Amino acid sequence: MKDNEKRFTLPMLESPRTMRIKFRKVGNLQYISHLDLQRTFNRVLVRAGLPLWYTKGFNPHIKMVFGMPLPVGSESECEMLDVRVEREMSDEEMLQRLNAELTDELRALEIYPAQRKFSEIAFAEYDYTIHTQGVDATLVDAIASAFVTRPLTVTRRTKSGEKEVDLLDFVHRIAVSFADGDICIHAILAAGEGNYLNPELLITALKQRFGILSGDPTKEHYRILRRRVLLADGETEFR
Amino acid sequence: MNEKISSVLKQVEKPGRYSGGEYGAVIKDKSQVKARFAFAFPDTYEIGMSNLGMRILYGVLNQDPNIWCERVFCPWVDMQEKMRQLDIPLWAHESGDPVRDFDILGFTLGYEMCYTNVLRMLMLAGIPLRAADRSDADPIVIGGGACAYNPEPVADFFDCFSIGEGEDNLVEFTNLYIRMKEEGRYSRAAFLHEAAATIQGIYVPALYEVSYHEDGTISSIQKKHDDIPDRVQKCIMQDMDQAYYPDQLVMPYIEAVHDRIMLEVYRGCIRGCRFCQAGMIYRPVREKTPELLNKQARCLYDNSGYEEISLMSLSISDYTQLEPLTRSLLEWTDRNMVSLSLPSLRVDSFNKELMERIASVRTSSLTFAPEAGTQRLRDVINKNVTEEDLLHAANVAFAGGKTNVKLYFMSGLPTETLEDLEGIATLAKSVVHAYYQNPDRPKGRSPQVTISVSCFIPKPFTPFQWEAQDTMEMLKEKQEYLGSKVTDRKVRYTHHNAKVSRIEAVLARGNRKLCAALELAAKEGFQFDAWDEFFDYDKWISVFERTGVDPAFFANRAFGLDEILPWDIIDCGVTKEFFKREREKAYAAATTPNCREQCSGCGANRLGGLRTPCPSCHKGEK
Repeated sequence: MKDNEKRFTLPMLESPRTMRIKFRKVGNLQYISHLDLQRTFNRVLVRAGLPLWYTKGFNPHIKMVFGMPLPVGSESECEMLDVRVEREMSDEEMLQRLNAELTDELRALEIYPAQRKFSEIAFAEYDYTIHTQGVDATLVDAIASAFVTRPLTVTRRTKSGEKEVDLLDFVHRIAVSFADGDICIHAILAAGEGNYLNPELLITALKQRFGILSGDPTKEHYRILRRRVLLADGETEFR
Repeated sequence: MNEKISSVLKQVEKPGRYSGGEYGAVIKDKSQVKARFAFAFPDTYEIGMSNLGMRILYGVLNQDPNIWCERVFCPWVDMQEKMRQLDIPLWAHESGDPVRDFDILGFTLGYEMCYTNVLRMLMLAGIPLRAADRSDADPIVIGGGACAYNPEPVADFFDCFSIGEGEDNLVEFTNLYIRMKEEGRYSRAAFLHEAAATIQGIYVPALYEVSYHEDGTISSIQKKHDDIPDRVQKCIMQDMDQAYYPDQLVMPYIEAVHDRIMLEVYRGCIRGCRFCQAGMIYRPVREKTPELLNKQARCLYDNSGYEEISLMSLSISDYTQLEPLTRSLLEWTDRNMVSLSLPSLRVDSFNKELMERIASVRTSSLTFAPEAGTQRLRDVINKNVTEEDLLHAANVAFAGGKTNVKLYFMSGLPTETLEDLEGIATLAKSVVHAYYQNPDRPKGRSPQVTISVSCFIPKPFTPFQWEAQDTMEMLKEKQEYLGSKVTDRKVRYTHHNAKVSRIEAVLARGNRKLCAALELAAKEGFQFDAWDEFFDYDKWISVFERTGVDPAFFANRAFGLDEILPWDIIDCGVTKEFFKREREKAYAAATTPNCREQCSGCGANRLGGLRTPCPSCHKGEK
């Protein structure tokens, strides 16, 4: 039997405290949409027995704010979620309770009182691994030079129709390498409010420019992993 | 997970249907188990994950260390396309291993319109459709669930059926399989024969010979061995407090249709509505104690994080311990912001106290099922609610701030006249009228009364099992007639598709001759027939024509009282004599008291059962 009633015995905080959960979302969990993730976390937080603060309205609910969107099909080691608690429980205990309710593919890495605002996020660091047929040094060079030659036009579908953008407007730093037959791209891309690049768009750009990744999905595939979230200087890690 | 499957996830709709990895999913070491059971739900993941029966049986099978039970769902059409391109056979959700390599493949059959999906899934798995064509290397294909009470229309595709409640019976079945394999005496035929002979509720269609008269009715059902039962009696759990109930749920990441705690409160129903199959086949009533239910609910809440608990039963207000149960639940649910919902409320039980306790106060609508428009017809179907009950319930709802009331009815019920149909419109109008008469109604808002009318389907194991369904033309005429009678703008009228109801009637009442039609339907690509966008009536009629099946013979013919019915091979507990008596009373518009008031001798109590309200069971008890 769990001790989820324990939270009612903890001392009340003077005012609700916002706690930041840094979590991983990888493997099968990359296919879970933002909305589904919200629902999932709601249940995880309840199961974990955290001393959650509920809204006081007609329909009380937990307050959850996610740091930034992660598209379906991308993985991450640095997702952020803010929740509010109303009673005193140690960070360690909260982390341990959370992880008892999670799987390896969705794991809480840290939990701490939130300091910075999510609006301070400016960039995110990504690793792309592209496994495609007919890859050779020439293709890798061509890709590398595409990333430094403006414009790298990509057609982006938005609510108001198709729109052409220069991908390089969103690239802070980028490096291409070739390892074990895979194309590896290390990129720092815009991830701020109002200036956010969906990391999938870089793949779209390569598909449009080089015609790669259009064949048999068992032989041609790619992985996008968000590694770190950064402040406006493009170097300091957001916490 | 299988690499081929994960490679296509970026290319299909709702990849979360296939990605797995859910919290609570059971992963075992396949080298350490003796039998692998694939539990298949013949529809999409979102629907399957809402199924309570599947949750229970998944848990009970996995409790056995020798068995690993995995889930299987029907992939959506876009995924099926990828499977064809890349040669991926139907796989099990947890391991990604091909279903055809499993020992046992179980299908839950909840709705006749899912039959084409069952066949589609067998084809995707690469398992021969017909049981007769399977070898010892193929899985044993077993079916269960409500539709298995008339398994004949799909008899050729199943090696066997589990009739009734499967908690004990499926484990026993799988263990017999393990034992025969270990003892080196397994063959498909030997196993099925022994299962039929030794395990209650196991029906092996191939072991019974069905013969027909020239007119297409059945002349005899003969068993082929002496050691198997003449009729297969369903299994029941004797003591619901001892029955397995999951304490850990598999938590879907994507939204399931019913995404909440489903707390099964009791099985069976005391009411005996004469059209209702569920009310008959799940008898006798067996309750769980409120203490156990409260414990199970708390445990499920702690282990799931769901913030809604739905009290499941056929008619929740008939639970004798409802008051103590809700009281003990509310002791902790309120504080934890958990809401209770009580579906299946009868109008005659709905009162202010009950409404205040339930979560649906958050929504502005309530649903009731008077089923028929006049008292005469409600008496025919033994619904035992009055217009007064309904208006009272509506008034409670209005005073409690509701503005929307939804009312369920059926058209095409035996003895129905135009007057009964008009009665539906009149009743809806009275509810609107009641709203405006109610001084406590929500101020400044107007009511909406929705009447949703389905088409009556005479189902097996009901007093109306012999009845003919109205022809489609009649059903449509009736729908239009009722439409013309709904004049009040506060009343919204919706009705079911009569075409679907007719095919459903054929599949529900059919015999083994339907197997040929279903096989052809499957080969012609039928699937997801429960989905409007896939159902095609004309194609069904064409398939029936080409396989010599007259749909009217099954749907629109009154079956003879002395006729051998396709489902006579099954003993659901309730006797045919009872159904005949009830049928007579229906024609006399005479009602039957509920099981608690008086025993009507339906026969189900010979199956036993603890904590049952049946007075006959308590004779001799203190």
